[in-house]
Amino acid sequence: MSRKAGILEGLGGVVPALRRYARALCAGAGQALSDELVQSALQSVGARIRARELRPADLDEARVEAYAALTAMATKRLAAAPRTAPRQPPIVQGLAELSLDDRAALLLVALEGFGYDAAARIVGAPRETLLARLTRARAALAADGLRPPSVDTGARRAAAHLRVVK
Amino acid sequence: MKSSGFIEESDLHALVDGELDPERRRKVEDHLLQHPEHAALVEGWRRQNAALRAAFEPVAHETPPLSLKDAASRAPASTQGPIETGAIHWGRPGASRPAQRLDDLRAQRRRQAMLSTLLTLLTGAAVAGLAALVFVGRHETPRPPVAASFTQSYAGRAGLTYATYASDARPVEIDISRRGELAAWLQERVGFSSTPDLADLGLRLIGGRVAPGVAAPAGLLIYERADGARVGLYFERAEAANAPQAPRAGQGVSAVEWRAAGFAFVLVGPLSSEEMQAAGERAARAVSAAPDAP
Repeated sequence: MSRKAGILEGLGGVVPALRRYARALCAGAGQALSDELVQSALQSVGARIRARELRPADLDEARVEAYAALTAMATKRLAAAPRTAPRQPPIVQGLAELSLDDRAALLLVALEGFGYDAAARIVGAPRETLLARLTRARAALAADGLRPPSVDTGARRAAAHLRVVK
Repeated sequence: MKSSGFIEESDLHALVDGELDPERRRKVEDHLLQHPEHAALVEGWRRQNAALRAAFEPVAHETPPLSLKDAASRAPASTQGPIETGAIHWGRPGASRPAQRLDDLRAQRRRQAMLSTLLTLLTGAAVAGLAALVFVGRHETPRPPVAASFTQSYAGRAGLTYATYASDARPVEIDISRRGELAAWLQERVGFSSTPDLADLGLRLIGGRVAPGVAAPAGLLIYERADGARVGLYFERAEAANAPQAPRAGQGVSAVEWRAAGFAFVLVGPLSSEEMQAAGERAARAVSAAPDAP
């Protein structure tokens, strides 16, 4: 009982990070939308915990559930969301160009610092899928000019080649 | 992962994301020293990470809007009920929200109601199951299935009693070799001491015992067939009259129940229903013909 209450209260502390993730996931599609996603995700996870549909062992697990709920909701809502506003920083512009799946994978790992396993749980996909999306997202962002100019395309070819030779 | 010297692209990602164990990490870092093009890739991804954090980290330091305060512990029903159902949001970007929320709310309430019903049922079943477990005790041999709810009926208690004693190494308290003692004891405790003879149906009486009834102790006579199958004749003082006067086979369990002489009789056993019915009729005749029936 008190564990549940503690977890519900602890989710309040996850709000700042959740907002950061939601804002990045929306990639400039609007602050109102991202905050609404955070609210819906928290309320849904909170309700499910209260209804004992969800029994997280600790706050970390509840946090993963909140991110998962937000990611799932974003998938639905962002399909109808307005396009990115113009004149965003290049990194945000680049994010907006990614598919939502790739974007979520990159943000969970690179921005939110989740391990591969937790991130895979959040997006509800196998670890390999998550890694593929992460790789794709990083490559696409790099192609958008965020890659250091000193590296030519041969480097990526070499890396891909290595994987096949193994 | 791999013990070979090959470094894959996934290893480079894992290095950036801190997913490598120290040994592998050292290997990958050594590899980067010799492959500047890979080192540049890693460096590029680290810059991407830094750019992402620079772009969005400030959001985490903002004061969250009030709508997010305690969002997880707030019941959506209490804080948003009346407002969300009205048309106050009409024309605003979130105008489609209220109906959607209401649906969510209804679904949630349905879920909660269903859950609580389920919980109540489960608790009831658990309590009943526990009671049955306590009564039946631990048995290695298979026994007829006894639903816990049957403990409400004579047949149910008969089933429980049968399950408890019939497969016991000492099924009876007084052996039939001491018939007189058994009859006197049953007469004293249960108030009924007839011991119907079912020998011509192949059922040999091996003895009897006193068992728990509801109002008063009940009696259990145990018969045994040549193949070892045991049939119990359970009798308990009956309280109400709304029960079968003639032998009637129970449903699902191999039990035949009837009333006579102020007692409820239940014959339980693993035999076929015809055999049980025949044995029940024979026992009923014997019981009603018994001179010592009260």
